Amino acid sequence: MSRVPFLDVIDRTFEGKYISQEDFEMNVFVPELRKVIEKYKIKFDPQVLIPDDDDLADRIFQAGLEFYQNVGTYCVDTERIISFSEKEILDALRTASNKVAFGEGRDLRWLKNRTPESETPPFCFLGAVGVAVSSDEIFVNLIQAFSECELTDTITMPSLTNINGRTVRPNSPFEVMAAIRSARLYKEGTARAGRPGIAAMNAIACASSDVAKIAGSHYLRPTDGWMIGSTAELKVETPRFNEIAYVRDIGGRILAETTPLLGGFCGGPEGVAVASVAYHLHGLLVLRGDCQLHCPLHLKFVCATAPPVLWALSVGAQAITRNSHSPIMISPFLAAGAMEEMCFLEAAAAVTAIVVSGSNLEAQVTYGGATTDLTGPLTPQFSAEVAHATAGMTRKDANDIVIKLVDQFKTSLGEAPRGKLYQEAYDMRTGRPLPETLKKYKQMKEKIGKMGIPFKV
Amino acid sequence: MGDQALLEKMSQAIIALDKDAAIEAVEAAISEGMSPLKAIEEGLQPGIKTVGERFETFECYLPELIGSAQAFTAAMDVLEPIIAQMSDNQKNNGTVVMGTVKGDIHKIGKDIVVLLLKTRGFNVIDLGENIPASEFLKAAQKHNANIIGLSALLNTTMPAQQEVINLFKEQGIRDDYAIMVGGAPISQKWADQIGADGYAKTAEEAVKLAFDLMNVKTA
Repeated sequence: MSRVPFLDVIDRTFEGKYISQEDFEMNVFVPELRKVIEKYKIKFDPQVLIPDDDDLADRIFQAGLEFYQNVGTYCVDTERIISFSEKEILDALRTASNKVAFGEGRDLRWLKNRTPESETPPFCFLGAVGVAVSSDEIFVNLIQAFSECELTDTITMPSLTNINGRTVRPNSPFEVMAAIRSARLYKEGTARAGRPGIAAMNAIACASSDVAKIAGSHYLRPTDGWMIGSTAELKVETPRFNEIAYVRDIGGRILAETTPLLGGFCGGPEGVAVASVAYHLHGLLVLRGDCQLHCPLHLKFVCATAPPVLWALSVGAQAITRNSHSPIMISPFLAAGAMEEMCFLEAAAAVTAIVVSGSNLEAQVTYGGATTDLTGPLTPQFSAEVAHATAGMTRKDANDIVIKLVDQFKTSLGEAPRGKLYQEAYDMRTGRPLPETLKKYKQMKEKIGKMGIPFKV
Repeated sequence: MGDQALLEKMSQAIIALDKDAAIEAVEAAISEGMSPLKAIEEGLQPGIKTVGERFETFECYLPELIGSAQAFTAAMDVLEPIIAQMSDNQKNNGTVVMGTVKGDIHKIGKDIVVLLLKTRGFNVIDLGENIPASEFLKAAQKHNANIIGLSALLNTTMPAQQEVINLFKEQGIRDDYAIMVGGAPISQKWADQIGADGYAKTAEEAVKLAFDLMNVKTA
C-alpha cells in the first residue's frame, strides 16, 4: 500500500474527531508530547550540542512516530483532527522518494536524502528566505547574485512589499499582483545570471493566500518548488489544501514547511526534537511533501542558534535522517543581522550542526527575518561554504567546533545587532559587495577557519 | 488557617497549574471571610505573576503560562459572582482591545500578551485573529477602551496595522485611544512610521508599555 490518498486526507478534515483548538493544544498535544519524552527517556544535555548517540536519535524517532500516531494534525478551519494509523504512517515512510529534482536543463539539481556524517555535499537552497525587499531593483539584483553563486542549487526568493509604491496588503489585488511580479522578476534575475533553469523553491514568498500563490504560478514551472506551510503546532488551514490540489495537478514539487517553537507548546528542546519527527510525518501525509523544510525557532530570540535549539535541530535531524529516506532541509534563523560578526559565527555553528546531522540547507535569514532589505548574497554564500566544508565531519569534531562558536555569541542572543541593509552593503548599480563588505566577509572566513571550519575555497 | 497561609496556598496553586487547588483555596478564603479583591490581588495575581516572570526567563514555557491562566480563570469564576454582588470590582488598570490584524492568523504571541495584561489588572477584550480594522473600531467604542493592541507576525500583514490607525484617524477618534503594536517583524521604526503610540518587542515589555500608555493618558 502506498501513501494515504490525498482525497482521503481531505475527507478526514471533515470526518475526523471534533475538538476545540484549545483542547487540542493543551489536552492532546502537550500531554501526549510529555508522555513520550518521559517514556523514551529523552534528555537535553547542554554540554553536548551535537550528540553522536545513535540510540538517542532512534528513540527520538520512535517517540515522534508514537506521538504523531496519538495526536495527528489539527485542521483549524473544521476543528477536526486528521489522524493516521501506524500502518499508514509506516507506508508513507516506506514509499517516500529519496530524491527530488528541481530546475531545468543544466541548472537541474537533485535534492537527495543524507545521513549523519554523510560525505554527500548538502543541497544548498540559497537566498533571501522570504525577507521583505523594498524595490523591484533590489529584488532582481538579489536573484541575479544568488544565481551567480556557484554553490546555489536552488533559490529562496525575497518578498516584494510594494507594487509601484502601493503597499502589498494580504488578500488584496496588490498581493496577487505582487505574486505575479515576483515570478516575472525572478525570471529576469536568473536570465541576467545566465542560469534560466535554476529553480525558485519557495514559490511565491510574498503570497500568503492560496489565490495569490496560484495566480503567480503561470510564470513558474512544475520544477520550481512549492512551499506549503503549516501552523505551530501541528495545525493546518484549509487554503493549504487548495494549494496542494493545484500543485498536484501541475505535477509540481511540494516543499512541506514546518516551524516547531521552543518555548511554545513543544516546551523545551526535547519537545522540539520529538515534534520535528512528528512534523516530518505530517509533512509527508498531510502536506504531501516531496521533501521537508524545518525551521525550529526559539520563541523569545526568534532564532535557531540558542544552544537548546541547536541541540534539538541536530538530534531531530539525526532521528529523521537515520529513519526516513525522504530528504530534509533546515533553515537556521540567525539572531544577528547580515554582515555582523555575530551573524557569521551563528551561521557557522548552525550550518555545521545541520550538515553533520544529515540535513540539507536553506540559508539565510538574519536578525529574525524582521527587517526590510536586511539581506544580501554574501551571507547565504558563506553558509553554503560552511555546509560544503563540514560535509563528512564527525559529529564529535563538529560538536567541539560548535561549542567554541556558540561561546562567542550565546550571551548576546537577546540583544543581537541589526547588521547592514542591502543598500548599505552592496552597490545598488552593479549589485556587487562594497569593498568594506568584502573585507568583512574575508576577515570572518579567516577567523572562523581558524576555529576549525575547513573551508575548501 | 490565617489569611497569609490562604493567600500563599492560592499563589502556589496557580504556580502548580492546579485548577482544583486554586478553587479550593479561594473557597476556603471566602468562607473565612477574606475579601475577594484581596484574594485576587494578594493571592492569585502574585502566583500568575511568578509564572509570567518564569516564562519571560524561559524557566517554564507556554503550556505552563496557559495552565496557570486556566487555574487563575477557574478561581476567578468562583470569585466573580461574589464581586458582582458586592458591586465592587478588582482594581482595573485600564481596558485594552487586542487582536491580530486582518490577513494574519497567528495567535500565540498575541495570546501571551493578553494573558500577561490580564494578570496585571487590565480588562482585555481579545478580538482574536484576522481582525479587520472596522472590528477594532467597533470594539474600542463599545468597550470604551483605553488602549488598542495590534499584533502582526508577517511582513505582508504589517500594513494592516497602519490601516487600523488610518481608520481611527479618518473617524476623528485617533487621539481617544493609545495604540500599541507588536509582532515578530515589527520594530520601533515601523511603529513611528505608522504613527503608533508604542511598540513592544516582548510580552513583558508590552505590559510595561500598557502601564506607560495609561500613565500618559491619565496624566
